[in-house]
Amino acid sequence: MLLHTLNRPPSSRVLDQALAGMGPEDRLLLIEDGVIGALPAQRERFAGVAGRLYALHEDLAARGLLTRCDDAVRVVDVEGFVALTETCERTVSWY
Amino acid sequence: MASTEIYRYLYSTDNSIPLDPEGYLVDMSEWSPEVAERLAQEEGIVLTEEHWEVIRVLRDFYARFEQAPAMRPLVKAVGQALGAEKGRSLHLMRLFPESPAKVGARLAGLPKPANCL
Amino acid sequence: MTEDTPSAELLVILRHAPHGSSWLKEGLDVALVAAAFDRRVTLLFMGEGVTALLEGQQAGPLGQKGTAATLEMLEMYDVDSLVVEKRSLDALGLSGDQLMLPTREVTEAGIAALVASHALVLNF
Repeated sequence: MLLHTLNRPPSSRVLDQALAGMGPEDRLLLIEDGVIGALPAQRERFAGVAGRLYALHEDLAARGLLTRCDDAVRVVDVEGFVALTETCERTVSWY
Repeated sequence: MASTEIYRYLYSTDNSIPLDPEGYLVDMSEWSPEVAERLAQEEGIVLTEEHWEVIRVLRDFYARFEQAPAMRPLVKAVGQALGAEKGRSLHLMRLFPESPAKVGARLAGLPKPANCL
Repeated sequence: MTEDTPSAELLVILRHAPHGSSWLKEGLDVALVAAAFDRRVTLLFMGEGVTALLEGQQAGPLGQKGTAATLEMLEMYDVDSLVVEKRSLDALGLSGDQLMLPTREVTEAGIAALVASHALVLNF
């Protein structure tokens, strides 16, 4: 199980690249501009990683998205991020 | 990597052929067999035909790929051009002691190999 | 490890086109350093990165070196595992026979397998 991080918004083709690179158990953590993907309207774009999608609390908060975040997205703070990197075998960054 | 900083001159008598701090030519186009001889002298190497054939391989490599080779591709290039017997690091170490990729590139008038720490 | 990449260790993903930025060049430099130190390297060309493999590239308008010569040089570093994302080729209307080096095309599932099978994955 790998952790993939994505710091680009859902309009970016980097999202497709990240999704292509993910295995069936891998987790996806949205950071920086990536957290825009945590909005409920984006749910379909991330259907393939449902239940394995995370977003960084600090980046959501900074953008006023914390309360607008889709319920299905798991919100983690920086400590949760660290914990994720520890449970996952390796981390792959998409940017 | 090529440096444009002039540190000293190969011929101190008339300040010609500037060298960078690591002894590589600042201007590659100033290379000549005579310059190679002079650079070799500084390394304490007397150039034989076995040296020259490797220098030619190095210059061909640069002409094709726009970079000086690290040790591994140098060994391969020499093996392809001069035969398996010579495409061995031992042979190159004997000709250009310490670091064949770096010393060879210097004598061949190439920039310092980039992928060679 | 998949059968296609026996004992391959480093996967370098190249996602940028030549000339427009230094990303491609930096990714290739990393691959060369690793190969010079006897690491097995696979290059995966994704997105606009696939255009790095087009034949007929030249220096830039100001004479800037491109990356085509470096790609030709990969063979001398024994880097011969080159993979291209089929989706990107298709999106740009390109085909494998227009590329300057022999490559293997992979679909999305193939990409996930490559990422999973390499001990080290670096994205450029």
